[in-house]
Amino acid sequence: MADTPVDALLKGNTGRNTRGLLRIIILTTIAAAAVSSRLFSVIRFESIIHEFDPWFNFRATKYLVQNGFESFWDWFDDRTWHPLGRVTGGTLYPGLMVTSGVIYHILRFLTIPVDIRNICVLLAPACSGLTAFAMYLLTCEMSFSPSAGLLAAAFMGITPGYISRSVAGSYDNEAIAIFLLVFTFFLWIKAVKNGSIMWGALTALFYGYMVSAWGGYVFITNLIPLHVFVLLCMGRYSTRLYISYTTWYALGTLASMQIPFVGFLPIRNSDHMAALGVFGLIQLVAFAEFVRSFIPGKQFQRLLTAMVIVVFGIAFVGLVVLTVSGVIAPWSGRFYSLWDTGYAKIHIPIIASVSEHQPTAWPAFFFDLNLLIWLFPAGVYMCFRDLKDEHVFVIIYAVLASYFAGVMVRLMLTLTPIVCVAAALALSSILDTYVFASRGPNPKIKASEDASTEALRSTRNPDVGISSYISKAVVTSSVVIYLLMFVAHCTWVTSNAYSSPSVVLASRMPDGSQFIIDDYREAYYWLRQNTPDNAKIMSWWDYGYQIGGMADRPTLVDNNTWNNTHIATVGKAMSSREEVSYPILRQHDVDYVLVVFGGLLGYSGDDINKFLWMVRIAEGIWPDEVKERDYFTARGEYRVDDEATPAMRNSLMYKMSYHNFNSLFQMGQAVDRVRGSRLPAEGPQLSTLEEAFTSENWIIRIYKVKDLDNLGRDHSNAAAFERGHKRKRATKRRGPRVLRTE
Amino acid sequence: MRWSLSLLLFGFLAVVHALSSSGNRLLVVLEDAAEKDSFSKFWSDLEARGYDLVFESPKSDKLSLFEHGEKAYDHVLLLPPRSKGFGPSLSPKNIIEFMNKDGNVLLALSGKSTTPSAVSSLLLELDFHLSSDRSSIVVDHFNYDTLSATEKHDVLLLQQPGQLRQDTKSFFGGSGVLAFPRASPHTLGGSNPLLTPILRAPTTAYSYNPKEDAASVEDVVATGSQLAVVSAMQARNSARFTLLGSVESLQDAWFDATIKAPGDGKETETANREFAKQLTAWTFKETGVLKVGKIEHHLAQDGDLASVELNPKIYRIKNETVFSIEVSEYNYDQYVPFEVPENDALQLEFTMLSPFHRLDLQPSGKTENSTIYSAKFTVPDQHGIFSFRVNYKRPFLTNIEEKHEVTVRHYAHNEYPRSWKITGGWVWIAGLWSVVGGFLAFVVVWLYSAPTSAAPTTKKTQ
Repeated sequence: MADTPVDALLKGNTGRNTRGLLRIIILTTIAAAAVSSRLFSVIRFESIIHEFDPWFNFRATKYLVQNGFESFWDWFDDRTWHPLGRVTGGTLYPGLMVTSGVIYHILRFLTIPVDIRNICVLLAPACSGLTAFAMYLLTCEMSFSPSAGLLAAAFMGITPGYISRSVAGSYDNEAIAIFLLVFTFFLWIKAVKNGSIMWGALTALFYGYMVSAWGGYVFITNLIPLHVFVLLCMGRYSTRLYISYTTWYALGTLASMQIPFVGFLPIRNSDHMAALGVFGLIQLVAFAEFVRSFIPGKQFQRLLTAMVIVVFGIAFVGLVVLTVSGVIAPWSGRFYSLWDTGYAKIHIPIIASVSEHQPTAWPAFFFDLNLLIWLFPAGVYMCFRDLKDEHVFVIIYAVLASYFAGVMVRLMLTLTPIVCVAAALALSSILDTYVFASRGPNPKIKASEDASTEALRSTRNPDVGISSYISKAVVTSSVVIYLLMFVAHCTWVTSNAYSSPSVVLASRMPDGSQFIIDDYREAYYWLRQNTPDNAKIMSWWDYGYQIGGMADRPTLVDNNTWNNTHIATVGKAMSSREEVSYPILRQHDVDYVLVVFGGLLGYSGDDINKFLWMVRIAEGIWPDEVKERDYFTARGEYRVDDEATPAMRNSLMYKMSYHNFNSLFQMGQAVDRVRGSRLPAEGPQLSTLEEAFTSENWIIRIYKVKDLDNLGRDHSNAAAFERGHKRKRATKRRGPRVLRTE
Repeated sequence: MRWSLSLLLFGFLAVVHALSSSGNRLLVVLEDAAEKDSFSKFWSDLEARGYDLVFESPKSDKLSLFEHGEKAYDHVLLLPPRSKGFGPSLSPKNIIEFMNKDGNVLLALSGKSTTPSAVSSLLLELDFHLSSDRSSIVVDHFNYDTLSATEKHDVLLLQQPGQLRQDTKSFFGGSGVLAFPRASPHTLGGSNPLLTPILRAPTTAYSYNPKEDAASVEDVVATGSQLAVVSAMQARNSARFTLLGSVESLQDAWFDATIKAPGDGKETETANREFAKQLTAWTFKETGVLKVGKIEHHLAQDGDLASVELNPKIYRIKNETVFSIEVSEYNYDQYVPFEVPENDALQLEFTMLSPFHRLDLQPSGKTENSTIYSAKFTVPDQHGIFSFRVNYKRPFLTNIEEKHEVTVRHYAHNEYPRSWKITGGWVWIAGLWSVVGGFLAFVVVWLYSAPTSAAPTTKKTQ
């Protein structure tokens, strides 16, 4: 074949430069695609922070930008968890806020004034571009094929499993944490490969950044020691491993202890003990290796091995004793729920009540990862073929992450990177095999050449086999089709499933036009503008962060569920009779109560549907006063209509939800569209609260807590008097007269 | 300018007249204009104390307690109606609304006529109970006026009340004898803590309906000191409601009547006029009105207080804190420094959900018309949103309910003692620096003792 102009570009020194340039262009394009596919919600709605947790992060970032780092570090937040307050500076992972703050100040320094909200909204997409790049680096360490890295980067850029937590506006810790996770793993692999202190220290540095950004750092804390442990068990001890692990552990642990929220956990908590144990083990192994290099005696080696095992055993027993005696904190409840999916439901209802902590349904894997999920096992298999240290890492990661992703929906996020790596390895190997397979020296032909030059034509130019054009064309085109389908799927999922801000709901009118339901913001702005600055708002904890962020009012409980008792108190107030709830509301200085009610619109994520969790959580603290059974009918049904139980019908939550709901309908025609049931003809009467605000579609209802009655009556009597009922004469009372003593 | 002028004017008025602390517009609801003259001394006493009296008939069309949604009068004096009630503009609902807007009400009943059911239902709402026939009077065969009620024994003679409770002030004190002709008695229900009796019937009294036959005496509703003749209620917003059983006791005839108790009693003059003054003065907020002036809290500091931030929004745990509150009391025509009764204390609570401190506030100073009470304490070792609360609610004194929220924060990271200040830490610090120094020394030794490796090789070749 003659040299074409293209060949000149692809061969030799120029070729390397051209490929380098092409790679940069491709990576940039991938990053651009990753960013732009995350902008659906900004384009469709507006530049707005999504969901729940991001609102807190946003509020914390604003505080950081306004008050500086020092006061952020010591921030005591008196507008949440009223009246307990929260030592926010010491109980959050500051990485995300500090990152945005630094970006904000850099932009200001460059005289580019950008609103901090826009930085927060766009931080996640920006980081996803970086993640794609980090993914390229990581995969390149795994494979010699340059296409593997590019494929992995492209996969990471658009796979829905990652997009679900990183669309524009999803300003959550995961936004930067996934980038840090992938990059830390890349640095780790690099360190293990080179055995260099520099790479080990860099790993520790980024590990420290990761610790500051996300609680999921524990995954790294356990995965790296496990990798080392497995390598040791495989007899692959090397000085490279020793250097990189000890460097990482020593520096990384110090770095992680600088975060106030983590503090002394690395030496006091079971979650971190594996890293410490492996650190000890590797010292022993190193010592044994050192000694063995001097004394080759077989007996001695055996003795050494026995000694290593004994010391390790003693250390393990010591660890157990320390844990039992309480010096080292036992595994946290969240950890147990990883092993036993039923654990949380029994012991910690508050964890089980979060939908993202539920076990994953199997279609979710296909939904989030599409073709990657079936390429994934192939990729893992290929790692077994040339089992180097880094491939061991991929295998361990793959096994662990797939288990965790099966246990909790949320952990799909940690599975995604390794799926991308494995799938890229598999796909690139297919492509390399088919695209680059030259019809070069066929051994058969070579053998026959000596025998006779007049071989069969078919053997000289084989039409079948992997090197034929047809097979190449078929395989490559089918791969291309799969990839195109993957892109289509990713775009569709991103656009339809993951781009809703959930603060603003969108629905379709019968004629296909979009109908925006903006009740949340309507209600929050009502609170912001019509209530005193320090009016305490009680609501279920789901809405705590949003009220804090959008309405800027103090709340009783929020999504940082650190105090179960306080949440149970709110649960009790919601699920008890008014007479029981009112003193609770008074004691906690509650001014307004906010409930979410979907009965008019058919919005199923409302408080009546969450109500059983409130009851359960309250029951966990006050088993004598709140009983879940009382809220079910005799036949075990959860009903809100005529057959609702008295406990249900007298609960504050029921009354607040259905207060005046009847007046919207004709007599006896009131229908709850979520539960699909007809409501009792007579609606509930509220006496200790009064309706303050109801949003356009009745999704948010706000009630004001009445003051004590001015004349010393109880509220039901006062309300009856207001309605015009005369009080019954006292003389009709039975029993002996009660004399006043004073 | 205007403000100071009106203040000046106000000061003038205060000098000229005694004046209620909450306004001087007094509505008198009187059904029969002819009756007005029989109370002339009472009216002139009130006018002398600075009230603008407006007389209205309950049937009058233009009678309304409210004007443009605000109360049109500051006080209302209701004389017993003849007909079924006070009419639509003085319905129980309106009167309660009037009280919710800080209006004060003095309701006088009479045993001469049946109390209308509308009035009774109003009283029931406030937890005053009349007898079921609503026309009983108090009869006492031991404490009656022998001069005017020799036969019926229906003019009750009572000593002026002294101090009503250990921890209250005496606003109705005196040593005179009061006469209550044909008093309609009431009992106090057990459910309203805001009620306080001012005058109870003697233990020998009982309630009796003169219109029914004697048989009903066997089945009395209440007897003795269960029966109250004068009672008061002070609402949570300090609006006052007083129920007086006998309207006749306010009449000119009884202001200076001569009475004689049974037995060997001497003839004496009644103290009704003085009691009427005390009762109206209390009801219309001339006495027993507390006012809170300046409230200050700050960090405790020796010496110069000028540099201390006043009323900070945030404290740290274990701060020394000083809280002070100025309280004055209105006494007929001016505010005077308030003195806490002897058996009582003004208390400060430092509260989060429940009080962490409950301290007696001590008088620490006096201004021209107020006493400064203060307390010094250490903020508890618990961060959160606390409040300074002064909750002083006593019968006959208006309520003080002050709540000031402050945040108590944790130690900031730089407020702990530094490591070298903790003697126990010296061992560790020494260990740390010895390792650092040792490592550096090792590095130096290692770097500068390296090139010996060349020497042995040359030796070997030799």
